[in-house]
Amino acid sequence: MNVGFIGLGVMGRPMALHLQRAGHELFVWARRPASVEGLPASLCASPAELGRRCEVVFTMVTSSRDVESVCLGKDGLIEGMAPGAVVVDCSTIAPDAARRIAARLGEKQIEMLDAPVSGGAQGAIDATLAIMVGGKAAVLARVLPLLECLGQRIVHVGPNGAGQVAKACNQMIMVAAIQAAAEAMRLAAAAGVDCAKVRQALAGGSAASRVLDVMGERMVRRDFAAGIEARLHHKDFGLVLGATRQSGVATPLAAVVGQQLNALIAQGWGRDDTSSLLRVLELA
Amino acid sequence: MNIGFLGLGIMGRPMALNLLKGGHSVTVWARRAESMQPLLDAGARGAANPSEVAQASELVISMVADAPDVAEVMRAVAAGAKPGLVAVDMSTIAPAAARQIGEELAAAGIDFIDAPVSGGEVGAIAGTLSIMAGGSESAFAKTKPAFECIGKNIVHVGESGAGQVTKAANQILTGVGVLAVAEAMAFAAKNGVDGSKVREALMGGFAASRILENHGQRMLDRNFKPGFKSWMHEKDLNIVMQTAHELGLCLPASAATAQMFNAMVGSGLGEEDSIAVLKLLERLSGQA
Repeated sequence: MNVGFIGLGVMGRPMALHLQRAGHELFVWARRPASVEGLPASLCASPAELGRRCEVVFTMVTSSRDVESVCLGKDGLIEGMAPGAVVVDCSTIAPDAARRIAARLGEKQIEMLDAPVSGGAQGAIDATLAIMVGGKAAVLARVLPLLECLGQRIVHVGPNGAGQVAKACNQMIMVAAIQAAAEAMRLAAAAGVDCAKVRQALAGGSAASRVLDVMGERMVRRDFAAGIEARLHHKDFGLVLGATRQSGVATPLAAVVGQQLNALIAQGWGRDDTSSLLRVLELA
Repeated sequence: MNIGFLGLGIMGRPMALNLLKGGHSVTVWARRAESMQPLLDAGARGAANPSEVAQASELVISMVADAPDVAEVMRAVAAGAKPGLVAVDMSTIAPAAARQIGEELAAAGIDFIDAPVSGGEVGAIAGTLSIMAGGSESAFAKTKPAFECIGKNIVHVGESGAGQVTKAANQILTGVGVLAVAEAMAFAAKNGVDGSKVREALMGGFAASRILENHGQRMLDRNFKPGFKSWMHEKDLNIVMQTAHELGLCLPASAATAQMFNAMVGSGLGEEDSIAVLKLLERLSGQA
């Protein structure tokens, strides 16, 4: 199949390569052509041209605005893609933006799925991403073989936007867990107890978690090199708190975590790992 | 002075009326034509659109709902503006949005002042609003005679956006403040102590405030009629939290307060006064 890929960063590049290795013809477009160097793919001059040549196009970019501009902007996918073709957006964006873009593409009978992922760069490289999908079941069925090249746990959550809601929930839980791990490490250190031993002891009990395992380890070693750049979690928390606001629900823990992330950004640690939330606690 | 006024809602209508009373010649426009009638009856001239208002005016004031509305009417104002026009927006919008609108108008040769108000409908009718202004000194000087018909405490805070920054700070204080007073009242009640006596005692000390005085009394009277509706305070706190997110600014108390207001809007208290946050606390603590 002719498959397009836009957004060839840390996540997008290994994902695109998996698709190509599975035997698909890969077409790419990038704002900076240098970023696609060395890829076994045909470079297109615009998203519209890429759209003309592909049945399915993946996007993996940063913000709602980026997805909007690639899909609906001048020379965007909407100008090239044929009726029945599918956009699979793997970016993490606002649920209402996902719904809006899907509706606009739908006016031209172009299908869209929101399919944000969890699992980080390592998950992208190992093709073990969790993929949470919003959109029509029949459309998902058509692109499922492609998604299976990228991840193992693929869940159809609901209609357009539902995948992004699930991703917001994922980020809420994950970053709150990082904050909890940081607070535990802070308490242990302040009480004069060896953090490494505490983490080791907890790993066997009810508080054991992947976050305590991975991020706790980084905190113990004070290795704050990313990992996951904290600025991306900060960006996602803007989406999380926007979504809770729109739904009129109280999420007091997420609100506090959001403020700790704001403090982290203020310290200039946005390109460090989110385990830097420990360093924010050490400021006070 | 020839003054144009755009947006004649709960706040805009009495403000425009006070400009007429102050002896100014006022041209008005509102999205819904029927809201123009009371102003026309009082001697204002009506216009078909914001551009027409701008053509007839030396000063144009907008009082609308949200940033996109301000941007839209100001673009129309720019299209009809005569040289030397000063544009003033008195709505509450994000500081970043105000700065951007200011830049767009400056590119069209129009001076812009952001001048949100505090004091509510009562202050708008009485002409006693607090006005916090951002923009150039010279534009503020041209605007001041109009402000004096509308408000009492008029402060030129700084450059473009500074008025909205001040209004956001005002909403932090009133939002966190009303929650603090509600918590104190709920605390007294759950302890079986008379809230009105607590309020009376505290009004003599360091915790005395206008919010404890006015809002506290209305909580004791269980008078939840707006005043200032919860959903509007929620909107304003969202401006605060968005700005904090963009700047990298840690505001834990505002964040907690914004969550309470989210829950109010989501649970049907949005149309009540912001003191209804007391009802939410009572629900959470089994006091309802």
